Amino acid sequence: MLTKKLKIGIVCPYSWDTPGGVQAHIRDLAEFLIASGHTVSVLSPAIDEDALPEYVVSAGKPIAIPYNGAVARILFGPIAFARVRQWITQGEFDLLHLHEPAIPSLSLLACWAAEGPLVGTFHAAAKRQKIIFAIGPILEPAIEKLNARIAVSEAARSTLTEHLETDAVVIPNGIYAKRYAKGTPQARWQGNTIGFMGRFEEPRKGLAVLLEALPIIARFAPDVRVFVAGPGDSEEIKKSIDPQLLPRFEFLGRISEEEKADFMASVAIYVAPNTGGESFGIILAEALAGGATVVASDIPAFDSLLGGGEFGALFESENPTDLAKVIIDLLRNNQKRTELAIAGKEHAQLFDWEVVAEQIFSIYEMSIVGSEGVGLAKDHRSWNRLLTRDGDDK
Amino acid sequence: MKTTLAILIIFLVFLWYLSFLATRLDRLHHRVETSWANLDGLLQRRAAIALEIAHSEIADPASSLLLTAASYQAREATMEYRSQAESGLSGALGLLLADGQSNARAPEKALLTELSALTNKIRVAIALHVDAVNSTHNLRGSKMIRIFRLAGTAPLPVTYEFEEDVL
Repeated sequence: MLTKKLKIGIVCPYSWDTPGGVQAHIRDLAEFLIASGHTVSVLSPAIDEDALPEYVVSAGKPIAIPYNGAVARILFGPIAFARVRQWITQGEFDLLHLHEPAIPSLSLLACWAAEGPLVGTFHAAAKRQKIIFAIGPILEPAIEKLNARIAVSEAARSTLTEHLETDAVVIPNGIYAKRYAKGTPQARWQGNTIGFMGRFEEPRKGLAVLLEALPIIARFAPDVRVFVAGPGDSEEIKKSIDPQLLPRFEFLGRISEEEKADFMASVAIYVAPNTGGESFGIILAEALAGGATVVASDIPAFDSLLGGGEFGALFESENPTDLAKVIIDLLRNNQKRTELAIAGKEHAQLFDWEVVAEQIFSIYEMSIVGSEGVGLAKDHRSWNRLLTRDGDDK
Repeated sequence: MKTTLAILIIFLVFLWYLSFLATRLDRLHHRVETSWANLDGLLQRRAAIALEIAHSEIADPASSLLLTAASYQAREATMEYRSQAESGLSGALGLLLADGQSNARAPEKALLTELSALTNKIRVAIALHVDAVNSTHNLRGSKMIRIFRLAGTAPLPVTYEFEEDVL
């Protein structure tokens, strides 16, 4: 594979400098493609335009709007549209890869403006929303331009079929499995320990469920400790924790990639009590690759990633009693825990970039058959001339 | 005067809408052509590999004959019968692979790995093509496009009914 070297344009909908699954995915994909000898340019909103890697082009500062249970920093509007068209004309790409083109974002703008081989990746998995049915017909002309649609999980795929009546090929998000396999167990995190990672202040990450389950777990495993890694204000959360349980908690703040690998290799159980809004669960794939025994809520994305419980234990979402039961059971049964971890680690190799990027690239190859590259859409050309002139005046 | 102007504007917007629809349809037809070209290329390659397998040592004389016939049929089938012929080839390959894989030697192994890589790609290519065809059918079914004959003389794309389970 990777015989022909391509010029690929990738559009990132969310602000480059805010941490998030989509951004991480695009960064890793872009770096993998560059390492394989392709030319890649990423167009993305950015708050700090000076801190961008070489391959990222800023489209301007994002606006924060609430979307899908979190605050999304995205960008649209006439100036951004002009910027997108300029980027497309100057880039002379063989192919555009648009991420999350169904939300009002740079990707949607690029989808409107461009013509030629277009690939779209859909990350989000949302419940049926009436609003989407209203905007579906508006999106359709844009979405149908995509030569190929990729969904990152079955959950994202069914969201797509329900909302936009179109099918997609499922290609999971990628991880660098080898990096996580290198983690060495650290004594300070070992023992009867539970690991949690993520922006714990966000309710949908489900730290509250773990907090509620802990008193029950502590009754059966008196020496249990919890390590919480991730950015956020820990003082605020500590106030809501029962003072008796507080000594069991340690907040590690944001940890580096290497520490993450060590973390996953050390903790007895990695728990992901997310209550929803999760489409793929890249953190679970990383935890599995790092050799952790994973306990996760049974939301659709996690259920499918863990093979219905084959590669990690599941508990009923938002049910602290069930979570406690599953954790206690695993803490007491070393053999079962090890077996799960081993099965999980093997399963995680499927998400390695070597595998995932090859799948994505073969979609690229299929989309560029017989094409002469990406240009501006015909139905926009006359408008473009008009609007670009306006843009120049500003 | 005002009404004339209003009517004119409505008429212009309507014309713009028609041209917009026509562009959409044109783009979809193009997408179908691309996805078909891609699928066709992959299928041709598969037929070639099938022939090679037929002439290699994996295949006994009977299955060799079966494979050769199936791959010729797949190559020569017209559009309407193509998916049927390709399913035939899938079936023949499936029969052979079910028991032939174990005693394969190095050069044949390479053929078989290539075949399985190709099969995966074909599966994706079929999904892409079917999706493109469905979108085109949907749009061409809409009233506006039928009344104003925006599709012109372009033939309705043929649905490709590949039996995926055979692969």
